[in-house]
Amino acid sequence: MNEQDPKTSGGEGELIYTYNREMFYHFDREKGFSQTIDYQNPGNQVIIKQSWDEADHRLDEARAKVRAGLASPVAYYMEKILMEVPMLAAYVELPKWRVRRHMKSGPFKKLKPEILSRYASVFGITVDELTNPEFLR
Amino acid sequence: MVKLDFPHRQAGHCESGVTRNLLNYHGLPISEPVAFGIGAGLFFSYLPFLKMQHAPTTSFRVWPGQVFDRTTKVLGVTSRIHTFRDPKESMSKLNEVLEQGYPVGLQVGTFHLPFFPPEYRMHYNMHNMVVYGYEGDNYFISDTVMENLVEINNEDLMRVRFAKGAFAPQGRMYYPVDVPKNVDIRPAIVRGIRKTANNMVGIPFPLVGAKGIRYLAGRMRKWEKNLGPEKASYYLGQVLRMEEEVGTAGAGFRFIYGAFLEEASQILNQPWLKELSVEMGENANRWREFSYLGSRNCKKRGKPDQSYDFLADILLEVAGREEKIFKALAKIK
Repeated sequence: MNEQDPKTSGGEGELIYTYNREMFYHFDREKGFSQTIDYQNPGNQVIIKQSWDEADHRLDEARAKVRAGLASPVAYYMEKILMEVPMLAAYVELPKWRVRRHMKSGPFKKLKPEILSRYASVFGITVDELTNPEFLR
Repeated sequence: MVKLDFPHRQAGHCESGVTRNLLNYHGLPISEPVAFGIGAGLFFSYLPFLKMQHAPTTSFRVWPGQVFDRTTKVLGVTSRIHTFRDPKESMSKLNEVLEQGYPVGLQVGTFHLPFFPPEYRMHYNMHNMVVYGYEGDNYFISDTVMENLVEINNEDLMRVRFAKGAFAPQGRMYYPVDVPKNVDIRPAIVRGIRKTANNMVGIPFPLVGAKGIRYLAGRMRKWEKNLGPEKASYYLGQVLRMEEEVGTAGAGFRFIYGAFLEEASQILNQPWLKELSVEMGENANRWREFSYLGSRNCKKRGKPDQSYDFLADILLEVAGREEKIFKALAKIK
């Protein structure tokens, strides 16, 4: 990763982390079109941050549901790696309706070890972490 | 071990940048805007029934892969495109092509790319980059988003090439093999402009082209009432992210397209294109203003000059402007 010279100055007390210099195009009536290689426009940090806040929010909701026994850890870990059901189903090579079923805690408890290990490898965790997540211990 | 002498250059947009870099390597000196223009990359579509990250899809470009396909086809360049089912087979084919001395373009998913900055870690399957060599398990990558050349190991590369979900790359690899000498790019430019003009104003379907921008404006006015402030703000943020963040060099490719029109007016020797390029540049600046005001709206809701109605009015304005530009461009000879 290109980490030299990370800029951390942000407007209005916000931390902006940009590691990467990208190319942008500009236009000016006198000078015409130009290209610059620069850090991300700070105005855009707001919308990047918004998408991460939304992801955090969804993750919190999923965690609360799992704690209350309304959903299985699959629902939590799916939010954690920012996936949705169709994408997760493609990764674990199961039909979508089965993945949706596995998000309920009842059917999840009856899953075979083979299916569990498929989920675990997609989420990048061990089977033990999947069946018994840290926040429930 | 193969390491080709591949010149790394950054670009505003990954696919047209890759196309330019590959064609330049084979001795065809075109710029990124021209590659983008010939490939007819500019577009607009708003697809509310297709959700991406829990919000409607807004796209400012054509289908992934089309820029390379069209550019090479129109210029008479012979190129090969492969997709695979078996990841192992795709890697051995990649090694084989590199050994023959061709740098290879790859379509990949960005989520597992190890060299990407952490805040860009999203499931986006339409990224493009060039492999120009390998040594053992390490592959040498030229990615137009990155400032420097990067490397990636076999396992990671296999994973990003076989990312799943919408627009899954399926190990797609493409490379030009034969680039003719002394190509006349003028007819190709004319064809590219005509195609883009048709895409933007000639398709009788409400969700695409200039009509699509108007449709989005109409929808935007109702968001707050129908969805509530939280979700409306998230939907707006999604439009802005597609416009500014996803490798478009800003303003949903409108800057690149303006630069293309400027270059085209010189190459074709048609001064009226220059005027349209200025118009396009102003239009792009208006889009950028839209994204600036929109991001203020996402931050603090409620100010009258950043309301959804106000933003929708800007969209109507750019829609009218783009319609005018592309109706004029459709008459190009």
